[in-house]
Amino acid sequence: MSFEEQILMQMKAEITARANRRRIGRRLLTGAAVAGLAAAATIAMPLLTGSEQAAYAVTRNTDGTINVKLNEFRDADKLEQDLKKMGVSADITYLKSGKACQGNRGDIVGGASPEEWEGSASAKAVRLLPHGGGLEIDPRYVGNGQTLVMMLTENKDRVFGSERSGTQWQLPTYVVNGQVKPCVVVDDPLWNDVDGSGGPPAGS
Amino acid sequence: MLRKQAEIATDHAAFEAFYRRHVDAVTRFLARRVDDPHTVADMVAEVFMAVLNSAHTYRAEQGTELAWLYGVARNRVSTERRRSFKEWRLASRMSGRRPLDSDDIAKLEERIDAEQPARRLFTAMAGLPKGERAVLELVVIDQLTVTEAAVALGIQPGAAKVRLHRARRRLRGLPFVLEGTLG
Repeated sequence: MSFEEQILMQMKAEITARANRRRIGRRLLTGAAVAGLAAAATIAMPLLTGSEQAAYAVTRNTDGTINVKLNEFRDADKLEQDLKKMGVSADITYLKSGKACQGNRGDIVGGASPEEWEGSASAKAVRLLPHGGGLEIDPRYVGNGQTLVMMLTENKDRVFGSERSGTQWQLPTYVVNGQVKPCVVVDDPLWNDVDGSGGPPAGS
Repeated sequence: MLRKQAEIATDHAAFEAFYRRHVDAVTRFLARRVDDPHTVADMVAEVFMAVLNSAHTYRAEQGTELAWLYGVARNRVSTERRRSFKEWRLASRMSGRRPLDSDDIAKLEERIDAEQPARRLFTAMAGLPKGERAVLELVVIDQLTVTEAAVALGIQPGAAKVRLHRARRRLRGLPFVLEGTLG
């Protein structure tokens, strides 16, 4: 490959990396302006293997935040109940690769614009812990009458970051005011755009 | 055009079109200023990386894509010259210097050779005040119009004309034919 082509590939990789950093805003814009899709933060997380353990573990930290460590994506209802006991009203959906919940599932906090999203409760309520540490939910960002909506999508065909391999997952999450609409599972129109390339992978 | 410039930093296809349109001109621009194939290749990459950072600064009404791109490239070159050799080597090693095959090196050396007269001109211009030299370089060596050179340097076209005029006057008597497009 000539050096021009190498540089072009390097630049495209950089564009992709930057697009991933901008994902929250992009998803919001696309969602709000174009297709009416879910506004969502997308976080890649590894799923730990080993099926002997419980599907998940929930622990409360001294600062009031809650750690959720996911081992398997099952028992969503039970996890919702456990979180409810800890003061967080949550709506959790597990989805297969390439699937998404149709549309915005309610009145999204910070969902009007990328500017509003930055710093909003939706952007802050869930944090991905490094090194496969799971998720950290901050109950302070989920108020009375609000629900933390989390849609966890299996993402077997993608690898996020060089240091981790194996099954990866996406976690669109936001806080909804009032009622949450049930998830109508549809093909995710942005699925092929998950790397920010704006198109199908090269060679397809 | 403004929208298109934003797209070149976000859209693979838009970037690729932009890249293919200008990679040759940028390589030549750098080959006029640097005579090592590896450094030229690295700097081509750096210029286009800087394009991603600066795409929002492009304003169609102020000039051509190429003038804007040369402005970006010039900034990279001067940043490069400020950076010490040691730092440059370190940075190159860290980012993983791209391997150039013999075809690449031959092609780059050919361009570097082709730009030798231009590099000689640079030497001749070395004594000029910096601002005048910058305009003269872009007009005489890189073949921009005066207006485009002004865009590349981020100065008013009038100021560029004055500098060019002064530079030509100072260089009168040099055994080079200094031609450029006025505009």
